[in-house]
Amino acid sequence: MGILIDDATRVIVQGITGKIGSTQTRWMLRYGTPVVGGITPGKGGTIVEGLPVFDSVAEAVKQTGANASVFFVPAAFVLDAFYETVDAGIKLIVIVPEHIPVNDVMRMRAYAAAEGVFALGPTTPGILVPGKGKMGIMPGALFAPGRVGIISRSGTLSYEFAGILSEKKIGQSAVIGMGADPVILTNLPDILSLFEADKGTDAVIIVGEVGGTQEEKAAEFIAEKMKKPVAAYIAGRLSPQGKRMGHAGAIVRGAAGTVASKCEALQTAGATLLKSPIEVLDWAVNNDIR
Amino acid sequence: MRLHEHEGLDIFESAGIPVPRRGVAGNTDDALIIAGEIGYPVVLKAQVLVGGRGLAGGIQTVTTPEELEDAAGKLFSAEIKGLPVRKLLVCEKADIHSELYMGITIDGFTGRPVIVVSKEGGVHIEETARIAPDKVISFYCDPAFGFYPYQARMLLRRLGIVERLLAICADVLVRLYRAFVQYEALIAEINPLVILKTGYQGGLLAIDSVIEIDNSALNRVKLPLPEMIERIENPLERKGREIGVTYVDLGGDIGIISSGAGLGMATMDIIGERLRPANFLETGGGITEELLYKCMELVMMKIDLRAIFINVYGGINPIHEGARGVVRYIKEHNVTIPIVAKALGNHQEETWEILRAGGVHVVTEAPTEIAVARLFELVGAR
Repeated sequence: MGILIDDATRVIVQGITGKIGSTQTRWMLRYGTPVVGGITPGKGGTIVEGLPVFDSVAEAVKQTGANASVFFVPAAFVLDAFYETVDAGIKLIVIVPEHIPVNDVMRMRAYAAAEGVFALGPTTPGILVPGKGKMGIMPGALFAPGRVGIISRSGTLSYEFAGILSEKKIGQSAVIGMGADPVILTNLPDILSLFEADKGTDAVIIVGEVGGTQEEKAAEFIAEKMKKPVAAYIAGRLSPQGKRMGHAGAIVRGAAGTVASKCEALQTAGATLLKSPIEVLDWAVNNDIR
Repeated sequence: MRLHEHEGLDIFESAGIPVPRRGVAGNTDDALIIAGEIGYPVVLKAQVLVGGRGLAGGIQTVTTPEELEDAAGKLFSAEIKGLPVRKLLVCEKADIHSELYMGITIDGFTGRPVIVVSKEGGVHIEETARIAPDKVISFYCDPAFGFYPYQARMLLRRLGIVERLLAICADVLVRLYRAFVQYEALIAEINPLVILKTGYQGGLLAIDSVIEIDNSALNRVKLPLPEMIERIENPLERKGREIGVTYVDLGGDIGIISSGAGLGMATMDIIGERLRPANFLETGGGITEELLYKCMELVMMKIDLRAIFINVYGGINPIHEGARGVVRYIKEHNVTIPIVAKALGNHQEETWEILRAGGVHVVTEAPTEIAVARLFELVGAR
């Protein structure tokens, strides 16, 4: 069993006929992901990377038994495609694209919650379960199977941490990108709870960054509910006030959203703070994580 | 996109919120004409996109044309917190009885708009929220349901507002919410909403606005306003926007190019341990040969740059194509400062070959700290 992706997972790719959609489908297949088809309205009946393309999600579900979907859909069409996917009965949705209006994200989030759908993003690299598969854009070669969970706001920093650990033969149980927008579809504490419950995970790393309050809320969850060791790294110590640091959600306003506020909350909750990513190796040794 | 105060007041006015008589002046002569139409005293307000403007001297009350000429002249030649003053808002002076704060923002954790009201208006709302949270009333609303006058009255009653004032303040708050939704704002604030000594304008005036529109929604909000790019004062940050990357000027002398926001921030922090980063630059997922060529050009615009550090991952990005752009720039411009690169992921070997052939110091280990240690060596930082 893996977190979110397991032997029963059947993935469809929405926006499979686009340049990024088709390229990433190839990488997902090479990694061994059970991708069963794709959707692009108007291009049903064609074949991409050897997979059937459908006009609608409902049709894809009927023909392939799909139960998970990853989005490479242009931002303006994501809300529509999301509603369609939820209505078709898909219970796991990963939204890779960025620049989706916050108003749309708030609607998607409310709809997913009402319909019992687990959704990640927007602006997420997706999910990767080493040895099982990946939904999203994570470069597979950097990851290795093991027992550490990683949750990251940033895609590239999730690769950095996985890369540092894999190089020292410390594998990962699952790596999840929580999304880097001001509003995300599943909050950090809810993702943490998956790892806390997972028998294949011994410890968890949170990779956060400036802006918002997800890390502070995660600290409350750690203090109240978590038994597994947690390490946390927060990027953006030198971010100037009021500047968006590449992610829509990465902005410091006054005292809110600073690295200091997040670090203080996490440390008080009992998490090990990493001042620099490479310190994750010392943490792994100290906690006997292999 | 953060709007100027005068743009926000125009939005308030179209939403039916009472606003002062006012005009925007690009020079002292225009300011005199506007003030003549409004009648003295007037308030001159520097239109700069920065907080704490009043405390920095950007707001002046004048009672005569002579005073106006003197104050406007000084404001136009001044910088407010490092920003030039291009426009002044000339406003009627309100006869203030008391002030309220009304603000709406989006709470990332609940995914809902949060409406905040307080009797402690003015410049200290953030401080009030921190030290006296009971003086600040918050309400999380359901965006699917909307926000209604009865809810507004409930909130304002908790501030002790009663009778006729309760109804008219609630009306303003509901109108602010409607504008917030209509313009897809991330922030909409009236700070302060002034309760006047007289019944003029119904007794209320919104005398300052803070509105920030969701950048991702700009193409469907369709505001008749100058483009985002024209609001960026820093020429390097503006150039970054033009080529489609996020560039933040950090004032130091070590250039940074990264393929992700988190990685870019971590790189900035790690380099910042011993050296001063010149910039944060994040390409997002659109790397091409041309884009990285332009990124090199942009980073090299910084005067007295000592080195460049490139940190990229091949996930969604074709980093081998990007590497060609870097090397082409180095060759065409005969770049001699050290360039250190860490590039991992899809197509990494090809990327390393291309970069090495161009004279870039390539580090192949995963930790950024190891590559930054190489940078420290090359520039002699200890």
